Amino acid sequence: MFFHIVLERNMQLHPRYFGRNLRDNLVSKLMKDVEGTCSGRHGFVVAITGIENIGKGLIRDGTGFVTFPVKYQCVVFRPFKGEILEAVVTMVNKMGFFAEAGPVQIFVSNHLIPDDMEFQSGDMPNYTTSDGSVKIQKDSEVRLKIIGTRVDATEIFCIGTIKDDFLGVINDPATA
Amino acid sequence: MSGEEEEMLLSSNGDEFLKAKCLMNCEVALILEHKYEQLQQMSDDPMNQVSQVFEKSLQYVKRFSRYKNPDAVRQVREILSRYQLAEFELCVLGNLCPETVEEAIAMVPSIKTKGRAHDDEAIEKMLNDLSLIKKFE
Repeated sequence: MFFHIVLERNMQLHPRYFGRNLRDNLVSKLMKDVEGTCSGRHGFVVAITGIENIGKGLIRDGTGFVTFPVKYQCVVFRPFKGEILEAVVTMVNKMGFFAEAGPVQIFVSNHLIPDDMEFQSGDMPNYTTSDGSVKIQKDSEVRLKIIGTRVDATEIFCIGTIKDDFLGVINDPATA
Repeated sequence: MSGEEEEMLLSSNGDEFLKAKCLMNCEVALILEHKYEQLQQMSDDPMNQVSQVFEKSLQYVKRFSRYKNPDAVRQVREILSRYQLAEFELCVLGNLCPETVEEAIAMVPSIKTKGRAHDDEAIEKMLNDLSLIKKFE
């Protein structure tokens, strides 16, 4: 799920960046430092959309660097347990399949794939129903439910299921 | 929203998510495309300047947006806002566009919890309104 939130960060700036372009320098540094990062608390910071406030700078004792508290708005992506979302399958093997939703990777174990789907190995490994009507392979679009999330230093990883009602391969009505 | 979601949003995540606005994929697509255009104007090679997270998110929201037209996107939010939904519920419905009341309840079970004013008829009307926007987009 994408959220639009306000975050605050203390930015340290070297005096070489002071002067007319101080604010611009501060904002570029903020974007370089923060965009693309991930934390367990906020999820992935996708893009900064605006600066709400830049507080007064405080000179650090002993170094001459100045710290500015910056409040900014940004779009973040944070998956939640129980959330249902759509994702693209990136890899299929006999343990299950991996899918991606934006910056997040989700693994769906074969235990959480409906029993009537079987793994077929080959050039394009896939899971298919016995009558061949539904197939999950690389680049398929699936709707899945997140049942767990794990955060490590730089990313969030999820596990999901397609075993409930209304989950599984998305049938595009345009092609039906 | 479900108990787990509420717990996550309110307890471990502090104040930010209490005031957080949820965004549907189509809304995020508009924001990210706009930002990408701004970057294109400022430099010749915008792809170098954006993080992989931005690229993947942009590709994802473009692929999974049900509504492309900015006016349609605005209308979707407006229509769903009339139904006393939590932000989270509104966005899941706007993203997944369930076709039947049964599907809607499966996607967002919290709309049927006790004490809430959403009977099947209201949900059906909401889904019909949504599909009308899609037809005339």
